[in-house]
Amino acid sequence: MERRVVITAASAITPIGHGKKQIVESLLSGKSGIMPLREDAMVSSFIHSRVYGTVNYPIEYDFKRAHRKTMGPVAYYACQAAKEALEQSGLTHDFITSGKLGVSFGSIHGSPTVQRDIYRIFFNAKDKAEYQSIGAVEYLKSMVHTTAVNITKMFGITGRVVSSGTACTTGSQAIGFGYEAIKYGLQEAMLCGAADEYDTTTVAVFDNLLACSTAFNNEPHRTPRPFDKLRDGLVVGEGAGALMLEEYEFAKKRGANIIAEVIGFACNNNGGDLILPNLAGITQTLKLGVENAKISPQEVDLVSAHATATKMGDIIEAQAIGAVFGEHPFVIGLKSYIGHTMAACGAIETIMTIYMMEDGFIAPTINLEEIDERCTMVKHVQKVLAQPVKTAAIQNFAFGGVNTILLIRKPD
Amino acid sequence: MTRQEIEQEIKEIFRREFEIENPGFDDDLREKYEFDSIDAIELLLEIERMLGSELTQEEKKQAMDIRTINQICDYIERIIQARKTAA
Repeated sequence: MERRVVITAASAITPIGHGKKQIVESLLSGKSGIMPLREDAMVSSFIHSRVYGTVNYPIEYDFKRAHRKTMGPVAYYACQAAKEALEQSGLTHDFITSGKLGVSFGSIHGSPTVQRDIYRIFFNAKDKAEYQSIGAVEYLKSMVHTTAVNITKMFGITGRVVSSGTACTTGSQAIGFGYEAIKYGLQEAMLCGAADEYDTTTVAVFDNLLACSTAFNNEPHRTPRPFDKLRDGLVVGEGAGALMLEEYEFAKKRGANIIAEVIGFACNNNGGDLILPNLAGITQTLKLGVENAKISPQEVDLVSAHATATKMGDIIEAQAIGAVFGEHPFVIGLKSYIGHTMAACGAIETIMTIYMMEDGFIAPTINLEEIDERCTMVKHVQKVLAQPVKTAAIQNFAFGGVNTILLIRKPD
Repeated sequence: MTRQEIEQEIKEIFRREFEIENPGFDDDLREKYEFDSIDAIELLLEIERMLGSELTQEEKKQAMDIRTINQICDYIERIIQARKTAA
């Protein structure tokens, strides 16, 4: 049994805004969400990269203590985005708690802020009383599936829980695995997404690997620069995205507002190096996605590339896109606005793509001033286009050699 | 500590740590205030601070069935009495 899967709600917290209105305004105006790295009295002073995709605005949370007590910052983001998607979907409380709705939500490693606090106590405590200040709830706040289960708790969701933790493909896998759960009849609906909180240790990791941008520390808005000749690495960011996926007939019957259809998903592994981008692996992912969607590559109008703005990653990805999709689709790198929001990137970039589909425009890759000659085999976008998009691909790749592609279509 | 002092201290802990204002002495804390097993563990730490001594594993296990403020106060009185007897 294969069933159609549609998206009926989406909400995101990003460095360029919270919710559709702000995000679309930022995409149309070319606003960057990259800001100077915050000092953290720990590793920040040792990091060469001094920029971060920052959620630099207040969010008014209205969570009861019974829920707050098991939430670290990443769960706050996740639950807020999930709450907004649930409200937008119009699903009833009876359905939400019926077992027919599941959750597919993740983060790269739970809450690093809480983990830091635990380790700070663990390594500095001088007596038992100090050790005991590690509370009973710290694990629940910091564990890898903290986003998913805080969502189930807050909204009384009793269906299946999937919590991918595959670094930068966490969000795209969350949507992909949610799509498969509905497509194959395991759930009627899945609340999908991912989140990551502000974390300087993630910057330190990429900084050590020489993968972070350092040349624009004094002009944060000029980096990252996907596909640009002057690109010098990724910029870590924070945020969350949540989407409601439903079985098509169920959504149609209840009169839901269908904003997009998920028509395909593919995921594979490079089967080798855990860090370096792999042309064969990525090319195969894109081919598998097109096959899964049962479309021809020429039907894809827009590719939201992973495009982290690393030296090699962008070249390999452009080559793979060129090999599979040719020069037909427009290609954009949305990380140029928000940085690399880690686990959340697949969810946020899917939501941004849906917003563009809904409003009939394509946002350019900002900071793409001079296209690297090794990335010219695809059709880049350097200014806002008033352009309808029928079918789009969202590509994401992760440490560990994990590759994903999601294919979505605008409803008729 | 007198019963009244224990009650006052427990109510203060509930206000400060659990954001529960003036719970009824016989209210079912789980039903009415979503006070769960995580809160119970946190409460035991507070009780240890209040008594100035550690609870044994056995004493902690005895607390797991407690549902009301009155039962918490009874529990603390028993612990205090046991400590006095042992001394």
